[in-house]
Amino acid sequence: MIQEKFVLKKENLHAFLEALSKDMEVFVPCHNENGATTFLPYNGQEIYTAAQTFYSPKQALNKPSEKEFFFGKKSSSVEVERVKQNGGKMIFGIRPCDTHAVKAFDKLYLEYGEVDPFYREKRDSTLLAALVCTEPCSNGFCHSMGTQEPTGHDLLMVEKADSFYIEAASSKGEELIKKHRGLLNITKFQKPELNFECKKKLDTRNLKEILDKGFFSKVWEEEGKRDLNCTSCTQVCPSCYCFLTLDKFILNTENSERFREWDSCHLQRFTKVAGNHIFRKSRESRLRQFVMHKLSYFQKNNDMMLCIGCGRCISVCPVGIDLTEIAAKIRSEFE
Amino acid sequence: MSEKMLTEPCQAKIVKIKDEAPETKTFTIKYVDEALQKALHFTPGKFFMLSIFGYGEIPISISSSPLKTDSVELTIVDVGNATHALHPMKEGDIVGLRGPFGNGFPIQKFRNKDIVFVSGGCGMAPLRPAVKAIVGKRSEYKKLTLFYGCKRSDQMLFKEDLKEWSGVENFNTLFTVDEGTPDWKGEVGVVTKLFGKADLKPENSIAMIVGPPVMIHFAIIELKKIGFKEGQIYASLERLMHCGMGKCAHCNVAGTYVCTDGPVFSGAELAKLPLEEK
Ligand SMILES: Cc1cc2nc3c(=O)[nH]c(=O)nc-3n(C[C@H](O)[C@H](O)[C@H](O)COP(=O)(O)OP(=O)(O)OC[C@H]3O[C@@H](n4cnc5c(N)ncnc54)[C@H](O)[C@@H]3O)c2cc1C
Ligand code: SF4
Repeated sequence: MIQEKFVLKKENLHAFLEALSKDMEVFVPCHNENGATTFLPYNGQEIYTAAQTFYSPKQALNKPSEKEFFFGKKSSSVEVERVKQNGGKMIFGIRPCDTHAVKAFDKLYLEYGEVDPFYREKRDSTLLAALVCTEPCSNGFCHSMGTQEPTGHDLLMVEKADSFYIEAASSKGEELIKKHRGLLNITKFQKPELNFECKKKLDTRNLKEILDKGFFSKVWEEEGKRDLNCTSCTQVCPSCYCFLTLDKFILNTENSERFREWDSCHLQRFTKVAGNHIFRKSRESRLRQFVMHKLSYFQKNNDMMLCIGCGRCISVCPVGIDLTEIAAKIRSEFE
Repeated sequence: MSEKMLTEPCQAKIVKIKDEAPETKTFTIKYVDEALQKALHFTPGKFFMLSIFGYGEIPISISSSPLKTDSVELTIVDVGNATHALHPMKEGDIVGLRGPFGNGFPIQKFRNKDIVFVSGGCGMAPLRPAVKAIVGKRSEYKKLTLFYGCKRSDQMLFKEDLKEWSGVENFNTLFTVDEGTPDWKGEVGVVTKLFGKADLKPENSIAMIVGPPVMIHFAIIELKKIGFKEGQIYASLERLMHCGMGKCAHCNVAGTYVCTDGPVFSGAELAKLPLEEK
């Protein structure tokens, strides 16, 4: 293990990101063309670290639309080709809570049941450079969810006035530090204790049991009535992973491609089968699916909550639906 | 089953096509790679994710016997995009298979019992492997009863099998249609109306149900009235699916995955599932 601790001076940040970008696609927190903060591949743009990003970094691992297969029709066969991932990736500045969302993906795609090779290939070549939070964010409740410390990361960073403190957290992280040692300075700085309190809270004691009991609670109807089903919450959520597959032809009906695309449980089409039968017709049933998947269902197979407490769904919701409030109401009714 | 068989559409050739009923065909298919065909084994009630390249990938139950795995049969109704693109396909054309998926009916556990099959419409397709497997090992099971209901008599699937099964020792086959036609001499009405016409002995029986949601709902109610306990009833559910492996979350019902935990559930499990979510 490397014994020394390092800082990256802010004046060297772009040189560091450029150097990293030679070997991999580096997703950095920044503004998109609409002015929203998100994670995009580094291209020299300004880095945004002032607060949590509006969009989560999940698109570095699961893009909104992603090609999985190519199908080429031959005279008496069909060529089936899995789209290869080219090169490695890094999510630079991923927040601790969001690293837990990656952990949830890992559990689902790599540990539960059959391994998903499409995700495995992407994940195997992805490094996480976590940037710890030193102040509470607007709607986060990571302290309630136990996600304030990063997990599965390769580098750990703390932002200071004029530098980023950097520490290796895995052997891959260590290799990176060795490789880019020239851009780093040795420091005596010690990683600070994280001792802020989140403003929002979610009482997680027996939460699964309580919510399961509250499946038919009136709260779903009350809250569901307001739900616009705009799907904003599922788009900004770092751990919403539900996807659909879609085949598209290329020019003619000889060659085609299969895409995986983000879907949302807030939509009726999510449960629609032939004959136009929809299993979750009402808004309340779909809101319940969203909240319950986050706070109850995922635990059944994956031994952790899918909600990691970033609070983005609360910040984005145009009608102020707040899953911590829903959970609290159901707790008061069913505890 | 290898990772490849489960995670990537493997080429399979249509070797035979049979018109089963209006808008319904049975496709006999074989993996192009013989090694995959050799590796294939399945329990009744399992399904494939079937690729009609360029049109999509859809869940389709295996409709042939698990005792004969040198090819598989899929019985498919033309209802939408992918199924509509499949129907005009010819012998020799290539489709993709991923799977098989799902738990299937635990028919080993049903040995030495009376078996009651309840099926509605194209629900006969996923049930046929169970009937075939049990008829194929006739001596291991006791009395057999099949209740099969369809909209019209021309929509009955597997007519040759139905005839054959009615000749199997101690196998009572009863049929009904929703709409009688001049040529139909049998019963008219819902499938549950047939239950009273067979001498069912619930004590040592197992019921397997496959059909549309309403049919499953009423079949369970009626079977319970006769004396069936929840643990003696098994039904296969249908939900939208995009992966078959519990990853896409479309078939999630209150935390249970129809694709991996099901599609076959016992009555006890079904009682806990909110099948139609208000
Ligand atoms: C476990 C299981 C076993 C099945 N077995 C059979 C069978 O043996 N024979 C048969 O004819 N049909 C079966 N179905 C139903 C079959 O999957 C649908 O009819 C088919 O997906 C319709 O696809 P489409 O593209 O033609 O229809 P469209 O209406 O154009 O469908 C668009 C998409 O919606 C989805 N979808 C639509 N209807 C269903 C549905 N009922 N269930 C699941 N997904 C759906 C598919 O992803 C499809 O690609 C089964 C469904 C399930 C879940
Ligand atoms: S909960 Fe809010 S953000 Fe989510 S779909 Fe409903 S209205 Fe949109």
